[in-house]
Amino acid sequence: MVIWETIFFWLFSLGAVVASALVIWLRTPLYSAIALILDFFFFAGLYVLLSAHFMAIIQVLVYGGAIMVLFMFIIMLLNLREETSSIEFRVHHGLAALVSLSIFAFMATGIMALSDQAGIKEVRANMGDATQIATPSRIPGLYADLNEEGLQSKFDAKIQSFADGSATPADGKYRPFPGAKFDIPPMMKGGEVNGRPVESADFGTVEPMSLLLVNRFVVPFELTALLLLGAIIGAVIIAKKRL
Amino acid sequence: MEITLTHYLLVGAITFCIGVYGVLVKRNAITLFMCVELMLNSVNLTFIAFSKYRVDLDGHVFAFFIMAVAAAEAAVGLALILHIFRHYRSLDVDRASELRL
Repeated sequence: MVIWETIFFWLFSLGAVVASALVIWLRTPLYSAIALILDFFFFAGLYVLLSAHFMAIIQVLVYGGAIMVLFMFIIMLLNLREETSSIEFRVHHGLAALVSLSIFAFMATGIMALSDQAGIKEVRANMGDATQIATPSRIPGLYADLNEEGLQSKFDAKIQSFADGSATPADGKYRPFPGAKFDIPPMMKGGEVNGRPVESADFGTVEPMSLLLVNRFVVPFELTALLLLGAIIGAVIIAKKRL
Repeated sequence: MEITLTHYLLVGAITFCIGVYGVLVKRNAITLFMCVELMLNSVNLTFIAFSKYRVDLDGHVFAFFIMAVAAAEAAVGLALILHIFRHYRSLDVDRASELRL
């Protein structure tokens, strides 16, 4: 089982990196768009490996389907053959490579620092009182973590104060709907293996996602509908011939 | 060899930096847009990787909202590109250097 995950991870991640490089490398916009569609499929494969089944399907439908069809449509409508003009000066390419490589160095340093157990131990030894918030992580490859129990107990105390009437939700940001339960879907955790939690079989499928979207994230979810409506109206108005 | 969170984060970082390079180098508005989509996608991968290793679905919800915003951005941005092409007869972003048409 683990060997298959490794094989498919390397297949999908190398494919994703090569396809992203092709998006930059190819000079015809249509070929770049096709490379980007390929890239989105590799990303969907990575999402399946991360047991994000719903997001993988949405990735193929929304990105590979809707957005890229829009791109191809515009490219064909404008009849773009070659890139109109690219920067000819080598110094610009060099500067761009320098900037992106330094951003990568910054991010890779951060990522590798997360997996450097000895370094984290040294930092924690010098932290003193602040050690309270950084506790050993239960995630493999990640050694420092926030003190989740402390944050969770604070959150629970706040919810409890809403429930027994000592504080009203109107003191905070949102007033809960009467009778609504702000429950976390119970099907996310499927037990523990080697002292760390593992996801349940339906983690990342439609049911827990929909429960989250209509419970805790109902306000941003409805705002998304408003955003899409505004985008439709804006696109129609901007693309009209006469403003 | 076990695949850990670090591997997924590094893949996300590499594709993000390829997107940054493309945004800095490309002068064609549509290709530039595709590089922005690439950057958004690699951030989504990071969110979902953290989500799996923390056994917490919030990252999936974040990625879901990012996708919705990317769809809206693509619709409006492509309409803008269409307008720029009609006005300048070219997609070179260096030519569209003034706010007024």
